Amino acid sequence: MRRNLVAYAFLSPFFILFIIFTAIPFFWALWLSLQDGLLTGPKTFVGLRNFAQLPRDTITRTVLLNTVKYVAVIVPVAVTSALGLAFLITNRVVRGRDFFRALVYFPILAAPAAAAQIWSYILAPRFGIFSYILSALGIGDVLFLANPQLALLSIALIEWWRGIGFHVILFIASLVGVPKELKEAATIDGATSWQVATKITIPLMRPVILFSVVMGTIWAFQLFDTVFVLTQGGPMHSTATMVWYIYNHAFRYSQLGLAAAMGVVLLLIIAPISYVQMRVLGREVEYA
Amino acid sequence: MPRPKAARTGSRAWLRSLSLVPQVVLVYSLLALLVIFMIGPYLFIFGTAFKETYTLVSIPPRLIPENPTLENFRDIFSTMPFARWFLNSAVVAALSTLGTLLVCSMAGYTFAKKDFYGKRVLFMVLMATLMIPSALMLVPAFLVTNQLGLVNTYGGLILPGIGGAMGVFLLRQFIETLPSELEQAALIDGASELQVFTRVILPLAKPGLATLAILSFTGSWNSLIWPLIIVNSKGLYTLPLGLALLRTEFQVNYGATSAAAVVSVVPLVVAFSFLQRYFIEGLTVGALKG
Repeated sequence: MRRNLVAYAFLSPFFILFIIFTAIPFFWALWLSLQDGLLTGPKTFVGLRNFAQLPRDTITRTVLLNTVKYVAVIVPVAVTSALGLAFLITNRVVRGRDFFRALVYFPILAAPAAAAQIWSYILAPRFGIFSYILSALGIGDVLFLANPQLALLSIALIEWWRGIGFHVILFIASLVGVPKELKEAATIDGATSWQVATKITIPLMRPVILFSVVMGTIWAFQLFDTVFVLTQGGPMHSTATMVWYIYNHAFRYSQLGLAAAMGVVLLLIIAPISYVQMRVLGREVEYA
Repeated sequence: MPRPKAARTGSRAWLRSLSLVPQVVLVYSLLALLVIFMIGPYLFIFGTAFKETYTLVSIPPRLIPENPTLENFRDIFSTMPFARWFLNSAVVAALSTLGTLLVCSMAGYTFAKKDFYGKRVLFMVLMATLMIPSALMLVPAFLVTNQLGLVNTYGGLILPGIGGAMGVFLLRQFIETLPSELEQAALIDGASELQVFTRVILPLAKPGLATLAILSFTGSWNSLIWPLIIVNSKGLYTLPLGLALLRTEFQVNYGATSAAAVVSVVPLVVAFSFLQRYFIEGLTVGALKG
């Protein structure tokens, strides 16, 4: 009995905050999706009407499409390029692996808002470095952020820069852990280094790659900061994402119900992916 | 192992092996590209922060300012409450980090070392919250904070950032590996439960605490969306919020935004160069935070 009391006393500071800022908001979020009204005003129960209205809203379709497009571009590109970079950095001719590991970490340090400001100058039309290089190559002036066809890809480029280090550092750690004997045995049996990589090393890295894909997906679905700073969802809603939708409908358009319903949609997407991730992580922890 | 001896002798054996030259050239050219791409934006913005206003839009773009000036830094500190924003960010990040360390270490210790009724269920509930996207909680967390009268206050910026299932998980994992004999010996010597925690567990858990501290501090320092919804007076802005709204609320140029970005990134870069190990360790655990 005393044992229990001591334990609960130690847990209470954490769980008081947990109940106020996590548990209550979670159930409130579900409840809000069944209501309509103003942010801080009275609300009425409307059942599932918000969910019925969601697909009728033209922005909804754009927002979902943008988010899915973004995820479909950034995740495979980030994971495969990170895999390539990890192989590059751990190549046997490379000295100073720690230097390169620190190097890819640097962009992670930048706040998304800071990264957005940094890149807004690099991607600026005419006098930005990218535009300058492209016009020097004869491609002409490119409006990276003002062109609806390119804006989302430009955002993806910035997020790639900011996030790639995470995957690279994970992969380096995993690559270093692959037993040398396996690779050497295969080489002696006449396997090329490409075969060693694709037939031995990468299959052994599978849990880490899966973890990486899942994390990348979870983050990509919640893209907001960079969009908010650089494009405000524009031009022509081409960079409007799900979280952008939630923020704007709740805090700007007084469409609380739709915002809450979109939040639940996001939950339904993220929760199963996170579940997979926790299973993967759980297995890793068991093996460790 | 049937392997030619030459391959293993001396760290510079690769230099002598001519067949490796093309590989070395290729690998290092690619690495040079990587260096340019990762560090280039920082160097560019660093140069820009010291450029004179009229050279900002020069074509071709210049990397190194002709006449370096502090004009842009003077600008951001004089035309907007930038010093205040910096201070706000520092205070908010420091206090939510301290709070997180305190509550998560107490909870993490309890889950690691104590047996109590409901332990398994509580821990599972905690882990389940890691699956919730933070954007879902945006509106209700705002409403809760509003109910508590904390909108547009330091309390509203700090309190919701304290805690987090991820911190408990990290410290539980860490404290579990500490030998239990030490606590038992201390208890037998007549130490109270609180003394065991503060004098035995916390000192041993320092590396775990350092990792969590860095995660929590950088998370708070860089966070945009929560300050954005919870604060509306400019005196309470944090750096990312100031950076984000620079362009809409203040008439500023790229020189000023660059200077602001530099000021926001430099503290973390300095911290990183001293505490790299903990930053990198935190990376994988931090990934858990939805």
